Amino acid sequence: MIRVGGLTKRFGMHLILDRLDLSVTKGERVALLGLNGAGKTTLMRCLLGLIPFDGSLSIAGQDVRANGREARARLGYVPQRAPHFDGSFAEMIEFFTRLRGVEPAAVESRLESLGLAPAEHGEKPVRALSGGMLQKVLLALALGADVPLLLLDEPTANLDPRARREFLRALQSVDHDTTILLASHRFADVQAVADRLLVLHGGRIAFDGSVATLRDRVGDAVTLWVKVPTDVRERARQHLESLALPAVLSNGSAIGVRVDHAARADVLVELRQRAIPVEDFWTEVPSLQDLLENVLGLGERS
Amino acid sequence: MSRTMLFVQRELAGSLRARWFLAYSAVFLAGGLLLATFGMGDITVYGFRGFAKAFTGLVHLALLFVPLMALFPAAAAIAEDRESGALEYVLAQPVTFGEVYAGKLGGVSLAVLLSMTLGFGAAGAVAVLRGVPPGLVAILYAFVVLLALVFVALGLCFSTIAGSRARAVTFGILVWLVLVALGTLGVMVAFVRWGLPEQLLVTWSFLNPVEAFRMGVVSALDADLSLLGPVGARVAARFGAAGTATLSGLSLAAWVALPGLIGWRLFRAHG
Repeated sequence: MIRVGGLTKRFGMHLILDRLDLSVTKGERVALLGLNGAGKTTLMRCLLGLIPFDGSLSIAGQDVRANGREARARLGYVPQRAPHFDGSFAEMIEFFTRLRGVEPAAVESRLESLGLAPAEHGEKPVRALSGGMLQKVLLALALGADVPLLLLDEPTANLDPRARREFLRALQSVDHDTTILLASHRFADVQAVADRLLVLHGGRIAFDGSVATLRDRVGDAVTLWVKVPTDVRERARQHLESLALPAVLSNGSAIGVRVDHAARADVLVELRQRAIPVEDFWTEVPSLQDLLENVLGLGERS
Repeated sequence: MSRTMLFVQRELAGSLRARWFLAYSAVFLAGGLLLATFGMGDITVYGFRGFAKAFTGLVHLALLFVPLMALFPAAAAIAEDRESGALEYVLAQPVTFGEVYAGKLGGVSLAVLLSMTLGFGAAGAVAVLRGVPPGLVAILYAFVVLLALVFVALGLCFSTIAGSRARAVTFGILVWLVLVALGTLGVMVAFVRWGLPEQLLVTWSFLNPVEAFRMGVVSALDADLSLLGPVGARVAARFGAAGTATLSGLSLAAWVALPGLIGWRLFRAHG
Protein backbone atom coordinates (compact mmCIF):
# COMPACT_ATOMS: atom_id res chain seq x y z
CA MET A 1 0.00 0.00 0.00
CA ILE A 2 2.84 2.40 0.88
CA ARG A 3 6.32 2.03 -0.59
CA VAL A 4 9.05 4.41 0.42
CA GLY A 5 12.56 4.10 -1.00
CA GLY A 6 15.52 6.26 -0.04
CA LEU A 7 13.24 9.07 1.04
CA THR A 8 15.33 12.10 1.94
CA LYS A 9 14.11 15.51 2.97
CA ARG A 10 16.13 18.52 4.00
CA PHE A 11 14.98 21.91 5.22
CA GLY A 12 18.00 24.08 4.56
CA MET A 13 20.88 22.50 6.46
CA HIS A 14 18.60 20.28 8.54
CA LEU A 15 18.28 16.70 7.42
CA ILE A 16 14.81 15.60 8.49
CA LEU A 17 14.44 12.27 6.65
CA ASP A 18 17.58 10.35 5.80
CA ARG A 19 17.28 7.71 3.05
CA LEU A 20 14.19 6.23 4.63
CA ASP A 21 12.99 2.85 3.40
CA LEU A 22 9.57 1.65 4.39
CA SER A 23 6.84 -0.68 3.24
CA VAL A 24 3.30 -0.91 4.58
CA THR A 25 1.02 -3.65 3.29
CA LYS A 26 -2.74 -3.59 2.76
CA GLY A 27 -4.79 -3.67 5.95
CA GLU A 28 -1.89 -2.91 8.29
CA ARG A 29 -2.46 -0.52 11.17
CA VAL A 30 0.76 1.34 11.67
CA ALA A 31 1.60 3.93 14.30
CA LEU A 32 4.31 6.43 13.50
CA LEU A 33 6.11 7.54 16.62
CA GLY A 34 8.99 9.80 17.38
CA LEU A 35 10.10 12.67 19.55
CA ASN A 36 9.18 16.19 18.53
CA GLY A 37 10.96 17.07 15.31
CA ALA A 38 11.60 13.42 14.43
CA GLY A 39 10.02 13.95 11.01
CA LYS A 40 6.58 12.37 11.43
CA THR A 41 4.68 15.28 9.94
CA THR A 42 7.32 15.73 7.25
CA LEU A 43 6.87 12.08 6.24
CA MET A 44 3.09 12.61 6.13
CA ARG A 45 3.53 15.70 3.94
CA CYS A 46 5.82 13.77 1.61
CA LEU A 47 3.22 10.99 1.38
CA LEU A 48 0.61 13.60 0.51
CA GLY A 49 2.89 15.13 -2.11
CA LEU A 50 2.71 18.50 -0.39
CA ILE A 51 6.45 19.08 -0.30
CA PRO A 52 9.27 18.16 -2.67
CA PHE A 53 11.53 15.28 -1.66
CA ASP A 54 14.30 13.01 -2.91
CA GLY A 55 13.78 9.29 -3.29
CA SER A 56 10.75 7.31 -4.34
CA LEU A 57 7.31 7.18 -2.83
CA SER A 58 4.19 5.38 -4.01
CA ILE A 59 0.71 4.86 -2.65
CA ALA A 60 -1.38 1.96 -3.92
CA GLY A 61 0.96 1.71 -6.89
CA GLN A 62 0.72 5.41 -7.76
CA ASP A 63 3.93 7.39 -7.77
CA VAL A 64 3.35 10.39 -5.50
CA ARG A 65 5.63 12.69 -7.45
CA ALA A 66 4.48 11.79 -10.96
CA ASN A 67 0.80 11.02 -10.24
CA GLY A 68 0.14 13.02 -7.11
CA ARG A 69 -3.55 13.45 -7.78
CA GLU A 70 -4.10 9.74 -8.43
CA ALA A 71 -2.12 8.87 -5.30
CA ARG A 72 -4.17 11.28 -3.18
CA ALA A 73 -7.39 9.87 -4.63
CA ARG A 74 -6.48 6.64 -2.86
CA LEU A 75 -6.09 8.12 0.58
CA GLY A 76 -8.05 10.01 3.18
CA TYR A 77 -6.32 12.50 5.44
CA VAL A 78 -7.14 13.76 8.91
CA PRO A 79 -4.73 16.45 10.12
CA GLN A 80 -3.77 17.35 13.67
CA ARG A 81 -5.56 20.67 13.58
CA ALA A 82 -9.03 20.67 12.08
CA PRO A 83 -8.98 23.32 9.36
CA HIS A 84 -11.58 26.07 9.39
CA PHE A 85 -13.69 26.76 6.35
CA ASP A 86 -16.00 29.58 5.47
CA GLY A 87 -19.59 28.56 5.06
CA SER A 88 -21.86 26.03 6.64
CA PHE A 89 -21.38 22.40 7.58
CA ALA A 90 -23.56 21.35 4.60
CA GLU A 91 -21.56 23.53 2.20
CA MET A 92 -18.31 22.00 3.41
CA ILE A 93 -19.63 18.48 2.88
CA GLU A 94 -20.94 19.42 -0.56
CA PHE A 95 -17.64 21.01 -1.59
CA PHE A 96 -15.44 18.09 -0.58
CA THR A 97 -17.76 15.38 -1.88
CA ARG A 98 -17.86 17.15 -5.24
CA LEU A 99 -14.10 17.64 -5.17
CA ARG A 100 -13.55 13.93 -4.60
CA GLY A 101 -16.40 12.82 -6.83
CA VAL A 102 -18.01 11.00 -3.92
CA GLU A 103 -21.73 10.44 -3.38
CA PRO A 104 -22.85 12.76 -0.55
CA ALA A 105 -25.02 9.93 0.80
CA ALA A 106 -21.89 7.86 1.51
CA VAL A 107 -20.44 10.62 3.67
CA GLU A 108 -23.79 11.37 5.28
CA SER A 109 -24.19 7.77 6.40
CA ARG A 110 -20.68 7.89 7.90
CA LEU A 111 -21.58 11.13 9.65
CA GLU A 112 -24.72 9.49 11.05
CA SER A 113 -22.69 6.58 12.37
CA LEU A 114 -20.32 9.06 14.04
CA GLY A 115 -23.25 10.78 15.73
CA LEU A 116 -23.30 13.84 13.49
CA ALA A 117 -26.66 13.99 11.78
CA PRO A 118 -26.34 16.26 8.74
CA ALA A 119 -29.97 17.30 9.13
CA GLU A 120 -29.23 18.56 12.62
CA HIS A 121 -25.97 20.38 11.89
CA GLY A 122 -26.33 21.23 8.20
CA GLU A 123 -26.89 24.97 8.54
CA LYS A 124 -24.36 25.51 11.33
CA PRO A 125 -21.32 27.56 10.30
CA VAL A 126 -18.20 25.37 10.23
CA ARG A 127 -16.57 27.79 12.68
CA ALA A 128 -19.26 26.95 15.23
CA LEU A 129 -18.37 23.25 15.26
CA SER A 130 -16.11 21.96 18.01
CA GLY A 131 -12.68 20.53 17.24
CA GLY A 132 -13.94 17.02 17.98
CA MET A 133 -16.91 17.41 15.64
CA LEU A 134 -14.70 18.74 12.87
CA GLN A 135 -12.25 15.85 13.23
CA LYS A 136 -15.19 13.45 12.94
CA VAL A 137 -16.38 15.29 9.82
CA LEU A 138 -12.92 14.87 8.29
CA LEU A 139 -12.91 11.19 9.21
CA ALA A 140 -16.37 10.77 7.68
CA LEU A 141 -15.18 12.50 4.50
CA ALA A 142 -12.19 10.16 4.34
CA LEU A 143 -14.24 7.03 5.04
CA GLY A 144 -17.06 8.08 2.73
CA ALA A 145 -14.59 8.24 -0.12
CA ASP A 146 -13.99 4.51 0.44
CA VAL A 147 -10.23 4.90 0.19
CA PRO A 148 -7.80 2.05 0.89
CA LEU A 149 -5.49 4.21 3.03
CA LEU A 150 -6.06 6.58 5.94
CA LEU A 151 -3.31 9.02 6.92
CA LEU A 152 -3.90 10.42 10.38
CA ASP A 153 -1.51 13.06 11.67
CA GLU A 154 -2.03 13.25 15.44
CA PRO A 155 -5.77 13.52 14.90
CA THR A 156 -6.66 13.50 18.60
CA ALA A 157 -4.01 15.96 19.75
CA ASN A 158 -6.47 18.80 20.27
CA LEU A 159 -9.47 16.79 21.44
CA ASP A 160 -10.86 16.51 24.95
CA PRO A 161 -10.88 13.01 26.51
CA ARG A 162 -14.47 12.26 25.53
CA ALA A 163 -14.06 13.40 21.94
CA ARG A 164 -10.82 11.42 21.78
CA ARG A 165 -12.53 8.23 22.96
CA GLU A 166 -15.30 8.67 20.40
CA PHE A 167 -12.81 9.33 17.63
CA LEU A 168 -10.76 6.25 18.52
CA ARG A 169 -13.92 4.13 18.68
CA ALA A 170 -14.78 5.31 15.20
CA LEU A 171 -11.30 4.43 14.01
CA GLN A 172 -11.52 0.97 15.51
CA SER A 173 -14.68 0.32 13.52
CA VAL A 174 -12.95 1.04 10.21
CA ASP A 175 -13.04 -1.81 7.70
CA HIS A 176 -10.12 -4.22 8.23
CA ASP A 177 -9.00 -3.90 4.62
CA THR A 178 -8.28 -0.23 5.16
CA THR A 179 -4.65 0.55 5.86
CA ILE A 180 -4.04 3.11 8.58
CA LEU A 181 -0.92 5.17 9.20
CA LEU A 182 -1.31 7.08 12.44
CA ALA A 183 1.21 9.59 13.71
CA SER A 184 0.68 10.08 17.41
CA HIS A 185 2.18 11.11 20.72
CA ARG A 186 -0.40 9.24 22.77
CA PHE A 187 0.23 5.67 23.75
CA ALA A 188 -3.48 5.09 24.33
CA ASP A 189 -4.19 6.04 20.72
CA VAL A 190 -1.42 3.81 19.49
CA GLN A 191 -2.59 0.83 21.53
CA ALA A 192 -6.19 1.35 20.42
CA VAL A 193 -5.42 1.48 16.74
CA ALA A 194 -2.04 0.09 15.76
CA ASP A 195 -0.59 -3.38 15.44
CA ARG A 196 2.77 -2.16 14.19
CA LEU A 197 4.95 0.64 15.49
CA LEU A 198 7.48 2.65 13.56
CA VAL A 199 9.76 4.87 15.59
CA LEU A 200 11.45 7.66 13.69
CA HIS A 201 14.67 9.07 15.04
CA GLY A 202 17.45 11.02 13.37
CA GLY A 203 15.60 10.81 10.09
CA ARG A 204 15.64 6.99 10.07
CA ILE A 205 13.52 4.18 11.44
CA ALA A 206 14.89 3.33 14.88
CA PHE A 207 12.30 0.70 15.71
CA ASP A 208 9.89 -1.34 13.61
CA GLY A 209 7.76 -3.90 15.42
CA SER A 210 4.67 -4.55 17.49
CA VAL A 211 3.57 -2.77 20.66
CA ALA A 212 4.39 -5.95 22.63
CA THR A 213 7.89 -6.04 21.15
CA LEU A 214 8.48 -2.46 22.19
CA ARG A 215 7.28 -3.22 25.72
CA ASP A 216 9.49 -6.33 25.86
CA ARG A 217 12.45 -4.30 24.77
CA VAL A 218 11.81 -1.66 27.36
CA GLY A 219 10.93 -4.16 30.07
CA ASP A 220 8.12 -4.20 32.54
CA ALA A 221 9.39 -1.39 34.73
CA VAL A 222 7.07 1.07 36.39
CA THR A 223 7.74 3.91 38.79
CA LEU A 224 6.44 3.29 42.32
CA TRP A 225 5.91 6.47 44.31
CA VAL A 226 5.78 6.23 48.09
CA LYS A 227 4.87 9.04 50.44
CA VAL A 228 6.53 8.83 53.84
CA PRO A 229 6.65 11.23 56.83
CA THR A 230 9.26 13.97 56.43
CA ASP A 231 11.34 12.86 59.43
CA VAL A 232 11.98 9.39 57.95
CA ARG A 233 12.27 10.38 54.30
CA GLU A 234 16.06 10.41 54.21
CA ARG A 235 16.21 7.01 55.97
CA ALA A 236 13.71 5.61 53.48
CA ARG A 237 15.70 6.95 50.57
CA GLN A 238 18.95 5.47 51.87
CA HIS A 239 17.29 2.13 52.44
CA LEU A 240 15.83 2.00 48.93
CA GLU A 241 19.20 2.85 47.47
CA SER A 242 20.82 0.10 49.56
CA LEU A 243 18.44 -2.34 47.88
CA ALA A 244 20.15 -1.46 44.61
CA LEU A 245 16.92 -0.29 43.06
CA PRO A 246 17.68 1.88 40.06
CA ALA A 247 16.85 5.54 39.81
CA VAL A 248 15.61 6.61 43.21
CA LEU A 249 13.75 9.79 42.57
CA SER A 250 12.58 12.52 44.84
CA ASN A 251 9.53 14.53 44.11
CA GLY A 252 8.92 16.88 47.02
CA SER A 253 7.05 14.76 49.52
CA ALA A 254 7.34 11.45 47.66
CA ILE A 255 10.14 9.09 46.70
CA GLY A 256 9.99 7.23 43.44
CA VAL A 257 11.71 4.05 42.54
CA ARG A 258 11.88 2.18 39.26
CA VAL A 259 10.83 -1.46 39.79
CA ASP A 260 9.36 -4.33 37.87
CA HIS A 261 5.58 -4.29 37.90
CA ALA A 262 5.44 -7.54 39.91
CA ALA A 263 7.93 -6.34 42.52
CA ARG A 264 5.96 -3.33 43.72
CA ALA A 265 4.61 -5.03 46.85
CA ASP A 266 8.11 -6.19 47.85
CA VAL A 267 9.26 -2.59 48.15
CA LEU A 268 6.34 -1.71 50.40
CA VAL A 269 7.02 -4.76 52.56
CA GLU A 270 10.72 -3.80 52.82
CA LEU A 271 9.82 -0.33 54.05
CA ARG A 272 7.33 -1.70 56.56
CA GLN A 273 9.92 -4.16 57.92
CA ARG A 274 12.26 -1.19 58.51
CA ALA A 275 9.47 0.53 60.45
CA ILE A 276 9.12 3.23 57.83
CA PRO A 277 5.45 4.13 57.65
CA VAL A 278 4.03 4.57 54.17
CA GLU A 279 1.32 7.23 54.08
CA ASP A 280 0.44 6.73 50.47
CA PHE A 281 1.72 5.05 47.31
CA TRP A 282 0.88 4.97 43.63
CA THR A 283 2.26 3.52 40.41
CA GLU A 284 3.17 5.39 37.27
CA VAL A 285 3.34 3.41 34.05
CA PRO A 286 5.90 4.68 31.58
CA SER A 287 4.51 7.15 29.09
CA LEU A 288 5.00 6.79 25.39
CA GLN A 289 7.68 9.46 25.72
CA ASP A 290 9.47 7.31 28.34
CA LEU A 291 9.23 4.24 26.12
CA LEU A 292 10.56 6.18 23.17
CA GLU A 293 13.43 7.68 25.13
CA ASN A 294 14.26 4.23 26.40
CA VAL A 295 14.15 2.52 23.02
CA LEU A 296 16.11 5.37 21.49
CA GLY A 297 18.73 5.12 24.25
CA LEU A 298 18.23 8.69 25.34
CA GLY A 299 18.61 7.83 29.04
CA GLU A 300 16.22 7.68 31.93
CA ARG A 301 14.88 10.41 34.10
CA SER A 302 16.90 11.01 37.19
CA MET B 1 -17.98 20.78 -13.11
CA SER B 2 -14.17 20.77 -13.14
CA ARG B 3 -12.23 20.95 -9.91
CA THR B 4 -10.88 24.36 -10.88
CA MET B 5 -14.41 25.67 -11.26
CA LEU B 6 -15.26 24.32 -7.83
CA PHE B 7 -12.46 26.41 -6.37
CA VAL B 8 -13.55 29.42 -8.43
CA GLN B 9 -17.04 29.04 -7.03
CA ARG B 10 -15.83 28.65 -3.46
CA GLU B 11 -13.50 31.65 -3.68
CA LEU B 12 -16.19 33.79 -5.28
CA ALA B 13 -18.70 32.86 -2.60
CA GLY B 14 -16.14 33.54 0.14
CA SER B 15 -15.30 37.00 -1.21
CA LEU B 16 -18.92 37.96 -1.70
CA ARG B 17 -19.66 36.87 1.87
CA ALA B 18 -16.97 39.11 3.34
CA ARG B 19 -18.51 42.23 4.86
CA TRP B 20 -15.58 44.51 4.15
CA PHE B 21 -15.73 43.49 0.48
CA LEU B 22 -19.41 44.39 0.27
CA ALA B 23 -18.79 47.67 2.10
CA TYR B 24 -15.94 48.54 -0.25
CA SER B 25 -18.12 47.74 -3.27
CA ALA B 26 -20.90 49.94 -1.92
CA VAL B 27 -18.51 52.87 -1.33
CA PHE B 28 -17.03 52.43 -4.80
CA LEU B 29 -20.49 52.33 -6.33
CA ALA B 30 -21.58 55.42 -4.41
CA GLY B 31 -18.35 57.32 -5.24
CA GLY B 32 -18.63 56.48 -8.93
CA LEU B 33 -22.27 57.46 -9.06
CA LEU B 34 -21.66 60.74 -7.23
CA LEU B 35 -18.79 61.67 -9.51
CA ALA B 36 -20.70 60.70 -12.65
CA THR B 37 -23.87 62.46 -11.54
CA PHE B 38 -22.43 65.70 -10.22
CA GLY B 39 -18.99 65.89 -11.83
CA MET B 40 -20.31 65.33 -15.34
CA GLY B 41 -22.62 68.28 -14.88
CA ASP B 42 -19.65 70.41 -15.98
CA ILE B 43 -20.00 69.04 -19.52
CA THR B 44 -22.95 71.28 -20.28
CA VAL B 45 -21.26 74.32 -18.77
CA TYR B 46 -17.63 73.95 -19.84
CA GLY B 47 -17.88 71.48 -22.71
CA PHE B 48 -15.29 68.77 -23.25
CA ARG B 49 -12.68 70.28 -20.93
CA GLY B 50 -15.04 70.02 -17.95
CA PHE B 51 -15.97 66.48 -18.84
CA ALA B 52 -12.34 65.46 -19.16
CA LYS B 53 -11.59 66.77 -15.68
CA ALA B 54 -14.54 64.89 -14.21
CA PHE B 55 -13.52 61.80 -16.12
CA THR B 56 -10.00 62.08 -14.75
CA GLY B 57 -11.59 62.22 -11.30
CA LEU B 58 -13.17 58.86 -12.05
CA VAL B 59 -9.74 57.57 -13.07
CA HIS B 60 -8.24 58.68 -9.78
CA LEU B 61 -11.14 57.17 -7.88
CA ALA B 62 -10.31 53.89 -9.61
CA LEU B 63 -6.63 54.29 -8.74
CA LEU B 64 -7.57 54.70 -5.10
CA PHE B 65 -10.15 51.94 -4.81
CA VAL B 66 -9.38 49.27 -7.37
CA PRO B 67 -5.90 48.22 -6.17
CA LEU B 68 -6.96 47.99 -2.53
CA MET B 69 -10.15 46.20 -3.39
CA ALA B 70 -8.23 43.64 -5.42
CA LEU B 71 -5.34 43.32 -2.96
CA PHE B 72 -7.35 42.42 0.14
CA PRO B 73 -9.14 39.28 -1.10
CA ALA B 74 -6.18 38.17 -3.22
CA ALA B 75 -3.69 38.53 -0.37
CA ALA B 76 -6.02 36.54 1.86
CA ALA B 77 -6.76 33.81 -0.66
CA ILE B 78 -3.81 31.53 0.05
CA ALA B 79 -2.25 32.96 3.22
CA GLU B 80 -5.50 32.80 5.20
CA ASP B 81 -6.13 29.20 4.15
CA ARG B 82 -2.56 28.34 5.07
CA GLU B 83 -2.98 29.93 8.51
CA SER B 84 -6.21 28.09 9.20
CA GLY B 85 -4.86 24.75 7.98
CA ALA B 86 -7.44 24.63 5.19
CA LEU B 87 -4.80 24.84 2.45
CA GLU B 88 -2.97 21.72 3.62
CA TYR B 89 -6.25 19.83 3.84
CA VAL B 90 -7.38 20.98 0.41
CA LEU B 91 -4.04 20.04 -1.17
CA ALA B 92 -4.29 16.62 0.46
CA GLN B 93 -7.31 15.96 -1.78
CA PRO B 94 -7.03 14.56 -5.30
CA VAL B 95 -6.31 17.95 -6.86
CA THR B 96 -3.26 19.49 -8.47
CA PHE B 97 -1.56 22.63 -7.20
CA GLY B 98 -2.38 24.23 -10.54
CA GLU B 99 -6.11 23.61 -10.11
CA VAL B 100 -6.11 25.18 -6.66
CA TYR B 101 -4.07 28.21 -7.78
CA ALA B 102 -6.11 28.74 -10.95
CA GLY B 103 -9.32 28.38 -8.95
CA LYS B 104 -8.23 30.98 -6.44
CA LEU B 105 -7.02 33.36 -9.14
CA GLY B 106 -10.25 32.92 -11.08
CA GLY B 107 -12.52 33.22 -8.05
CA VAL B 108 -10.93 36.36 -6.63
CA SER B 109 -10.72 37.95 -10.09
CA LEU B 110 -14.40 37.28 -10.72
CA ALA B 111 -15.43 38.69 -7.35
CA VAL B 112 -13.37 41.85 -7.86
CA LEU B 113 -14.56 42.29 -11.44
CA LEU B 114 -18.15 41.82 -10.36
CA SER B 115 -17.78 44.61 -7.85
CA MET B 116 -15.92 46.82 -10.36
CA THR B 117 -18.55 46.21 -13.00
CA LEU B 118 -21.27 47.16 -10.57
CA GLY B 119 -19.52 50.38 -9.53
CA PHE B 120 -18.28 51.39 -12.96
CA GLY B 121 -21.32 50.06 -14.76
CA ALA B 122 -23.58 52.39 -12.82
CA ALA B 123 -21.18 55.35 -13.08
CA GLY B 124 -20.58 54.63 -16.77
CA ALA B 125 -24.29 54.43 -17.52
CA VAL B 126 -24.85 57.80 -15.88
CA ALA B 127 -21.85 59.26 -17.73
CA VAL B 128 -23.17 58.00 -21.09
CA LEU B 129 -26.61 59.42 -20.34
CA ARG B 130 -24.91 62.76 -19.69
CA GLY B 131 -23.22 62.76 -23.06
CA VAL B 132 -19.87 60.99 -22.53
CA PRO B 133 -18.98 58.88 -25.58
CA PRO B 134 -19.61 55.17 -24.77
CA GLY B 135 -16.25 54.30 -26.35
CA LEU B 136 -14.43 56.30 -23.68
CA VAL B 137 -16.36 54.59 -20.92
CA ALA B 138 -15.51 51.24 -22.49
CA ILE B 139 -11.79 52.15 -22.55
CA LEU B 140 -11.90 53.22 -18.93
CA TYR B 141 -13.68 49.98 -18.00
CA ALA B 142 -11.12 47.89 -19.90
CA PHE B 143 -8.24 49.61 -18.11
CA VAL B 144 -9.99 49.27 -14.75
CA VAL B 145 -10.33 45.53 -15.40
CA LEU B 146 -6.62 45.32 -16.24
CA LEU B 147 -5.65 47.32 -13.14
CA ALA B 148 -7.82 45.10 -10.95
CA LEU B 149 -6.25 41.97 -12.43
CA VAL B 150 -2.74 43.40 -11.87
CA PHE B 151 -3.41 43.76 -8.16
CA VAL B 152 -5.20 40.42 -7.92
CA ALA B 153 -2.12 38.74 -9.43
CA LEU B 154 0.21 40.73 -7.15
CA GLY B 155 -1.92 40.00 -4.07
CA LEU B 156 -2.03 36.29 -4.84
CA CYS B 157 1.72 36.24 -5.40
CA PHE B 158 2.30 37.92 -2.01
CA SER B 159 -0.22 35.53 -0.49
CA THR B 160 1.89 32.63 -1.71
CA ILE B 161 5.12 34.07 -0.36
CA ALA B 162 3.96 35.63 2.92
CA GLY B 163 3.56 33.60 6.07
CA SER B 164 0.30 35.27 7.04
CA ARG B 165 -2.61 37.16 5.58
CA ALA B 166 -1.63 40.32 7.45
CA ARG B 167 1.88 40.20 6.03
CA ALA B 168 0.60 39.58 2.50
CA VAL B 169 -1.79 42.54 2.74
CA THR B 170 0.96 44.74 4.19
CA PHE B 171 3.33 43.82 1.34
CA GLY B 172 0.59 44.57 -1.16
CA ILE B 173 -0.25 47.97 0.30
CA LEU B 174 3.43 48.91 0.53
CA VAL B 175 3.99 48.02 -3.10
CA TRP B 176 0.91 49.99 -4.09
CA LEU B 177 2.11 53.01 -2.10
CA VAL B 178 5.57 52.79 -3.66
CA LEU B 179 4.07 52.56 -7.15
CA VAL B 180 1.84 55.55 -6.48
CA ALA B 181 4.68 57.53 -4.91
CA LEU B 182 6.89 56.71 -7.88
CA GLY B 183 4.22 57.94 -10.28
CA THR B 184 4.42 61.34 -11.88
CA LEU B 185 5.47 63.17 -8.74
CA GLY B 186 8.27 60.76 -7.81
CA VAL B 187 9.50 60.57 -11.36
CA MET B 188 9.63 64.35 -11.66
CA VAL B 189 11.52 64.69 -8.41
CA ALA B 190 14.02 62.10 -9.61
CA PHE B 191 14.30 63.81 -12.99
CA VAL B 192 15.06 67.19 -11.44
CA ARG B 193 17.26 65.87 -8.61
CA TRP B 194 19.46 63.49 -10.61
CA GLY B 195 18.93 64.70 -14.14
CA LEU B 196 17.82 61.25 -15.33
CA PRO B 197 17.60 60.69 -19.10
CA GLU B 198 14.17 61.08 -20.65
CA GLN B 199 14.25 57.55 -22.04
CA LEU B 200 14.49 56.17 -18.51
CA LEU B 201 11.55 58.25 -17.35
CA VAL B 202 9.41 57.15 -20.27
CA THR B 203 10.33 53.50 -19.69
CA TRP B 204 9.62 53.77 -15.99
CA SER B 205 6.23 55.33 -16.69
CA PHE B 206 5.26 52.30 -18.74
CA LEU B 207 6.76 49.85 -16.25
CA ASN B 208 4.82 51.31 -13.32
CA PRO B 209 1.33 49.80 -13.58
CA VAL B 210 -0.29 52.67 -11.71
CA GLU B 211 1.23 55.22 -14.07
CA ALA B 212 0.58 53.00 -17.10
CA PHE B 213 -3.10 52.81 -16.13
CA ARG B 214 -3.36 56.58 -15.70
CA MET B 215 -1.55 57.35 -18.95
CA GLY B 216 -3.47 54.72 -20.90
CA VAL B 217 -6.90 55.98 -19.89
CA VAL B 218 -6.18 59.70 -19.89
CA SER B 219 -4.38 59.61 -23.24
CA ALA B 220 -7.59 58.23 -24.74
CA LEU B 221 -9.17 61.58 -23.85
CA ASP B 222 -6.69 63.33 -26.10
CA ALA B 223 -5.82 65.26 -22.98
CA ASP B 224 -3.17 67.89 -22.46
CA LEU B 225 -0.43 68.53 -19.95
CA SER B 226 -2.83 69.53 -17.15
CA LEU B 227 -4.43 66.08 -17.14
CA LEU B 228 -1.61 63.82 -18.29
CA GLY B 229 1.13 65.40 -16.23
CA PRO B 230 4.52 66.33 -17.67
CA VAL B 231 5.79 62.79 -18.21
CA GLY B 232 2.46 61.54 -19.55
CA ALA B 233 2.25 64.49 -21.92
CA ARG B 234 5.77 63.75 -23.20
CA VAL B 235 4.85 60.08 -23.67
CA ALA B 236 1.60 60.96 -25.47
CA ALA B 237 3.46 63.37 -27.75
CA ARG B 238 5.96 60.66 -28.61
CA PHE B 239 3.70 57.64 -29.13
CA GLY B 240 0.34 59.26 -29.86
CA ALA B 241 -2.89 58.53 -28.00
CA ALA B 242 -3.42 55.06 -29.50
CA GLY B 243 0.23 54.10 -29.07
CA THR B 244 0.26 55.22 -25.44
CA ALA B 245 -2.96 53.33 -24.70
CA THR B 246 -1.65 50.20 -26.42
CA LEU B 247 1.73 50.29 -24.66
CA SER B 248 0.02 50.96 -21.34
CA GLY B 249 -2.36 48.06 -21.92
CA LEU B 250 0.55 45.76 -22.77
CA SER B 251 2.41 46.86 -19.65
CA LEU B 252 -0.63 46.11 -17.49
CA ALA B 253 -1.10 42.74 -19.19
CA ALA B 254 2.53 41.92 -18.41
CA TRP B 255 1.93 42.95 -14.79
CA VAL B 256 -0.94 40.45 -14.67
CA ALA B 257 1.02 37.64 -16.29
CA LEU B 258 4.34 38.02 -14.46
CA PRO B 259 3.21 37.98 -10.80
CA GLY B 260 0.59 35.39 -11.73
CA LEU B 261 3.28 33.13 -13.15
CA ILE B 262 5.76 33.76 -10.33
CA GLY B 263 3.04 33.11 -7.74
CA TRP B 264 2.02 29.88 -9.46
CA ARG B 265 5.59 28.61 -9.66
CA LEU B 266 6.22 29.43 -6.00
CA PHE B 267 2.94 27.82 -5.00
CA ARG B 268 3.77 24.68 -6.96
CA ALA B 269 7.24 24.55 -5.45
CA HIS B 270 6.37 25.25 -1.84
CA GLY B 271 2.61 24.97 -1.43
